[in-house]
Amino acid sequence: MSVGKNLDASPVTPAAPGTSPQKRALPWRRWLRAVHRDVGYLAIGLTLVYAVSGIAVNHIATWDPSFEQFTRTITVAPATLTGDDRAIAQEALAQLAIEQVPSDVYRASDTRLDITLADSTVHVNPQVGTIAEEGQRARPILRSINWLHLNRGKQAWTLFSDVFAGGLVFLALSGLFMLRGRQGVLGWRGLYVVAGAAVPIGYLIASGGP
Amino acid sequence: MRIQKHDPNDAAPVRFAQDARERIESRRRFILGAAAGTALVALGGYYVLTDSSLTNAARAQVRPDGRPRLPPGQRVIERLRAMGGQEGDPAPRNFTLSISGAVEAPFSIDFRGLMALPGVREQASDVHCVTAWSVLGARFTGVSVAELAARAKVKPTAHHVVFEAAHGYTANVRIDHALAPNTMVVWDLDGQPLGRAHGAPVRALVPDLYFWKSAKWLTGIRFVEKDEPGYWEIRGYNNHADPWKEERYS
Repeated sequence: MSVGKNLDASPVTPAAPGTSPQKRALPWRRWLRAVHRDVGYLAIGLTLVYAVSGIAVNHIATWDPSFEQFTRTITVAPATLTGDDRAIAQEALAQLAIEQVPSDVYRASDTRLDITLADSTVHVNPQVGTIAEEGQRARPILRSINWLHLNRGKQAWTLFSDVFAGGLVFLALSGLFMLRGRQGVLGWRGLYVVAGAAVPIGYLIASGGP
Repeated sequence: MRIQKHDPNDAAPVRFAQDARERIESRRRFILGAAAGTALVALGGYYVLTDSSLTNAARAQVRPDGRPRLPPGQRVIERLRAMGGQEGDPAPRNFTLSISGAVEAPFSIDFRGLMALPGVREQASDVHCVTAWSVLGARFTGVSVAELAARAKVKPTAHHVVFEAAHGYTANVRIDHALAPNTMVVWDLDGQPLGRAHGAPVRALVPDLYFWKSAKWLTGIRFVEKDEPGYWEIRGYNNHADPWKEERYS
């Protein structure tokens, strides 16, 4: 039997007469591994949510992680934009080939007629003939996971994400005790723990901290 | 000497032709890929260099108040970024701005009424986002908060102002910032109606503080006696938010 492949890392020693190896193994470690595994399964979904949206939101200075903005402007002869506001709106939408029924048509001033659509607004200046559409579309999956990550839902989600955070703390700490003795953190794998902790500590020192 | 005849059943020439074709296609793919990569890098480089030249130019400038035009840690970009947020009702017909709190004459005003106020003007402002980008000279059209405050007759006990926005978003500022001549309520950006992503129909503009104080989808301005930290302020962002002091976080 190869000791190196025994992840339970129980030293292979001959069993004492009258006892079986199973009885001598520490039951708490087996429990810990089982709970660690199952909590890990439970955490997969939310870990992906937080990780993917974390990357998306981290770069908010260079892109909108939840929405995609769009604009387009055309200019027509002002003479085509005549009649009452409804007629002007109809013509403006036809010029943009929009078949949607607007939820509102609002005359803000002589030079501004706003047509509100589901995901965009069309601004018409009947005096100069400009028709400008601007709006934003939600990014299908990212918007939902960012919404969860940024805790826009409040209350119940706060509780749920607190429980999840507690689960991650458990996974991190229980991970330290998965392997026994020198095969675990008391051996060279302990360097991983040190390296992982050194990154935030080093960054705090190098950056001067808060 | 034997002349080797081509055996129609021999696959070698066919394989050779296929190999040659694959080599040519592979070379084409490489050239196209390299060209696309070069174009991408060049484009990225162009944007980096453009941003960098704008930033360097801004660093050499000084504001009338003696402060550098570009606060520390900021880089200049060409256009405002939307930066997210939960969108409010974009329809101007449904817009109402309420001026309330520590005032003697609270009032509400609709979109047309706001546009018709005396003192409507266009103002070029530099804005500074806490995520380290700045836009210089963005042209906003609106009316000053001081004008609205004067109509509401703000009580002398008011020391802070809370900008209220859709979905319960709030941003708090000291009253001296709120009543500064360049603090406004705006509805046009660069000559165009404010876009939905930028807070349409109306947003606040507090150009001398980090831009999260300039609440989008504005619904109210409340004058208060005691400070009330807003949405980001209770989530670890600085209560004051002065870009020149880099007051980004608490």
